[in-house]
Amino acid sequence: MSVRIVNFTLNDKNIDVMVQPLTTLQSLLREDLKYTATKTGCKQGACGSCTVLVDGEPMLSCLLPVEDVAGKEILTLEGLTENGDLHPIQETFFETFAMQCGYCTPGMIMVSKALLDHIPEPNRDEIVEALTGNYCRCTGYEPIIRAVEESARRLNIAASTE
Amino acid sequence: MSIQEYYRPQSIDEATGLLAEQAQGSLIIAGGTLAMPLINDGVSMPNQVLGLKAAGLDYIKEQDGFLVIGATTTLSQMAGQEKIPMLAEAALGVGSWAIRNMATVGGNFFAPPPGGDFAAALLALDSKLILQGKQGQRSVPITDFFTGFMTNVLNHEEIIKEIQVPIPAGTTAFSKFGRRHSNTPSVVAIAVNFEFDAEVITKARIALNGVGPYPFRAEKAEEFLIGKSLEKQSIEEAGEIAATECSPFTDPIASEWYRRKMVPVILGRTLDKIRK
Repeated sequence: MSVRIVNFTLNDKNIDVMVQPLTTLQSLLREDLKYTATKTGCKQGACGSCTVLVDGEPMLSCLLPVEDVAGKEILTLEGLTENGDLHPIQETFFETFAMQCGYCTPGMIMVSKALLDHIPEPNRDEIVEALTGNYCRCTGYEPIIRAVEESARRLNIAASTE
Repeated sequence: MSIQEYYRPQSIDEATGLLAEQAQGSLIIAGGTLAMPLINDGVSMPNQVLGLKAAGLDYIKEQDGFLVIGATTTLSQMAGQEKIPMLAEAALGVGSWAIRNMATVGGNFFAPPPGGDFAAALLALDSKLILQGKQGQRSVPITDFFTGFMTNVLNHEEIIKEIQVPIPAGTTAFSKFGRRHSNTPSVVAIAVNFEFDAEVITKARIALNGVGPYPFRAEKAEEFLIGKSLEKQSIEEAGEIAATECSPFTDPIASEWYRRKMVPVILGRTLDKIRK
């Protein structure tokens, strides 16, 4: 068995990890690094609860071998908070209660972050399309879609007053 | 865990060299969206896995009237290109955003139906696959690639290197019909590529997916349409012919009966898009 050392950036921190062949990023994050915001749902790439951003693009950490993220920048939900302060998207999800059990929330927020980075003022269809790979069995999606709209509004106000 | 090695060749020559050396072979993956779910579930327990992501096969280039697509080009990359809009539309029909960021054009040829819609779009465009082994490469039209359900002409030392797509001279359209608006397996997906002399059809390509063991062309319906114009009656008759050419299956998405029933309906909608 050939164990490998892989170097990549996790939430702005450059790290080296040692992994068995084909270890998924999901299991590395949760089991070894204890970054448990990234959830384990289906392990099939179907539910979206394990979504992380790889160089700013959403990907499914349950399908992603750690060896394949060598040299890349990974962002997980833990990386959104700054000095303990919630990111505006997190704050909006929290204030507008865009969750019930919360299991899908990290994935929802990561995809929303990528969406708003790409399209600062998305319309409803663009939000729905972006979130279509993230399953929520509690909310019926409506509160989540509204939270993304509200997040966009807040982020744009913050950007225009800077 | 029984996986002994995850090879990440840095070039196609290294990849084919590794494959030629291996007596028991490797499971080949690229984006991982097909193989990793099986490995996570223990359905597939390979000893060795060979990943193509680092082999330099993610490119889209224009060359002598062809769009040449490297096998590990992602579906998101395809959705972002504007040279052949039908391919962008077909790419956007696959999976979710995150899946498209990982899933590759080459990998789509190994997606069990009703997966493989993108391959159907490439089929309608008369694309060729370049297969490479250690001994060299060969060119195979997509019509000759599939030999049955999940089987194809690749030998165990070969990999798909790239897809050569003639830039279409005529009109193209793509339709995917599923149970939801997006991120959904197809009931049926249809790609068409037509050329006309005034109103008269001079070339017809109708590729279907989700209604057979692999993406295929409705050749009898194509032949029927040559020399005719696209009007209500000819479209309906072509749809009925296409329905007889498919061999659909029943799965949790749709029944065999429903899939077949939808072929003329969706073909009609697709041809309506290109009707002059």
